[in-house]
Amino acid sequence: MCHAHTLGCVHSKPHPRGRGSFELARGIWATWWYTVSAVVLFEVFLITAWAGAWATPAGGTDVDLIVLGLGIVWLIATFWILVAYRRREEQGPLLPRRYLPALAVCVVVAAAMPFTTGSWLAGVAFLLQPLVILNWQRGVRLRVVVAATAALIAVAFIDRAHAATSLHPAAWAVGVAFSIILPLASVTSLWWWDVLVAFDRARAVESRLAATQERLLVATDVHDLQGHHLQVIALQLELAEKLMGRDPDAALEQIRAARVSVGEATQGTRDLAMRFRTVSLADELANARDLLQAAGIAATAEAAVDIDAAPADVLGPVIRETTTNVLRHGGGRRARLALELGASGWRYEIVNDRTGGATDGDGSGLEGIGRRVAEAGGTLDVRRDAHEFAVVVSVPGEQK
Amino acid sequence: MIRVLLADDEAMIRSALAALLRLEDDIDVVAECADGTEAIARAVELEPDVCVLDLEMPGVDGVDVAAQLSRRIASRFVVVTRHARPGVLRRALASGVAGFLPKSRGADEVAQVVRKVAAGGRYVDPEIAADALTDERCPLTPRELDVLRVGRRGETTGQIARTLSLAPGTVRNHVSVVLGKLGVGTRQQAVLIAEEKGWI
Repeated sequence: MCHAHTLGCVHSKPHPRGRGSFELARGIWATWWYTVSAVVLFEVFLITAWAGAWATPAGGTDVDLIVLGLGIVWLIATFWILVAYRRREEQGPLLPRRYLPALAVCVVVAAAMPFTTGSWLAGVAFLLQPLVILNWQRGVRLRVVVAATAALIAVAFIDRAHAATSLHPAAWAVGVAFSIILPLASVTSLWWWDVLVAFDRARAVESRLAATQERLLVATDVHDLQGHHLQVIALQLELAEKLMGRDPDAALEQIRAARVSVGEATQGTRDLAMRFRTVSLADELANARDLLQAAGIAATAEAAVDIDAAPADVLGPVIRETTTNVLRHGGGRRARLALELGASGWRYEIVNDRTGGATDGDGSGLEGIGRRVAEAGGTLDVRRDAHEFAVVVSVPGEQK
Repeated sequence: MIRVLLADDEAMIRSALAALLRLEDDIDVVAECADGTEAIARAVELEPDVCVLDLEMPGVDGVDVAAQLSRRIASRFVVVTRHARPGVLRRALASGVAGFLPKSRGADEVAQVVRKVAAGGRYVDPEIAADALTDERCPLTPRELDVLRVGRRGETTGQIARTLSLAPGTVRNHVSVVLGKLGVGTRQQAVLIAEEKGWI
């Protein structure tokens, strides 16, 4: 049964983008945008921290506005580099060629920073951030980030001794803090993203593997089944061929046996195919109603609220058999199906206005139903009168 | 004598079944056709009592043949199939098909069904009915199915909206709900699934 379940899942959720691709699930893109906003937010902090540092009276002219302007240009450029990161390939280039202008813009901005502000740290911070978010190989990025952070700390010391002494110490400290933290924070965000992508791929691979195993299993079953039956049929026919001249009656017997084998093979194949079809009783009832309506019978179907708790293995075949009976005999105009849970258990009832021909052919079907229901500890009632034909099946069940 | 028209694109099966049916005393096979178009032409010409139609024929399939003929002649229709695809029994019953059975049934059973159907009865094989009852239910609303049906040949959202007298935004909403329900990325994929499952 567990096979049926896994295959059912795979079937009910078809892989829309084809089997070979590793496309990411839709939901994961939301996570990508969280990642990007986190990185962008860190960068906004960096820009405002540096712009704010020179907004103090000590800064003099419009240095803060220039830093802000350069910062916005830089922000847009790094955003493009992040977009490139989204489509990265494990062994791909550091940055695809068409994103190079964005990197160039970042370099220009970073170069302009020391000239405007007199702070080397600002320049180095704006230069290193776009570099650490490039598509570094696994392991290399860690070294790049450590080196970048070390470089930033070193430059901060140099800067402290020289140009930046004119700034307010607190403003300077905030700028330094954000400059040093930024590469590490950005890369951590991207690392989380990478982990998520890896998970998503693992999930895709897993579901494909499950489907493949299922297919192999089915193929083996089909092969065994058909191989066995075909071999039997071949033998029976060979025997019939040899017997034909000597003992025509025995030959005929073998041909009949071969036909029976063919029937068994067909049934076996069908059972194999049906093994993977599981349908809820509610769906089965609704299908029954639709079918009867399609056949021109005014049919209604009522289902109990907690129909999923009903024993589908007993009632499913009952619904199938009784609906088929109503269908095949035809002539009726109305039919009513109901499955409800009463004090004494589940009660399935199918009533139709068929009056004539009630006995033809459905005897065996009803017997089969009776046996099945009795095995489950239930009862079968058949009621027929001048106007109606009704089958009522009761099986034990508990009311919640 | 019941006059029967037989249509099946598989020549081996068609001739074998015709030969077996001719062995029955009360059945005469008046025409053997290799496809749906030929079946329609011959049936209109001969007006047989019963048409036994293969479901899987290139071009016009068995149910389509029955649907087209039932409006023109008084024949009864029996459809045989190797594999009943979801929704096909419903479509057949709605098209006025009186008998439906799998190809795995022997010629003697086909003969019985032909007799029964010729006498005005209806016969649905238990296997086919069981298949139909275990079909996956369609999760889409009639309106959503309309959108898929109208747009199945790749019509634009605007065209669908005009055909159904809806606002383009409403059509887009329906499409996005459909994509969500079926777990696919494009309307074309949704149409393929719906066609495969016999919903449209």
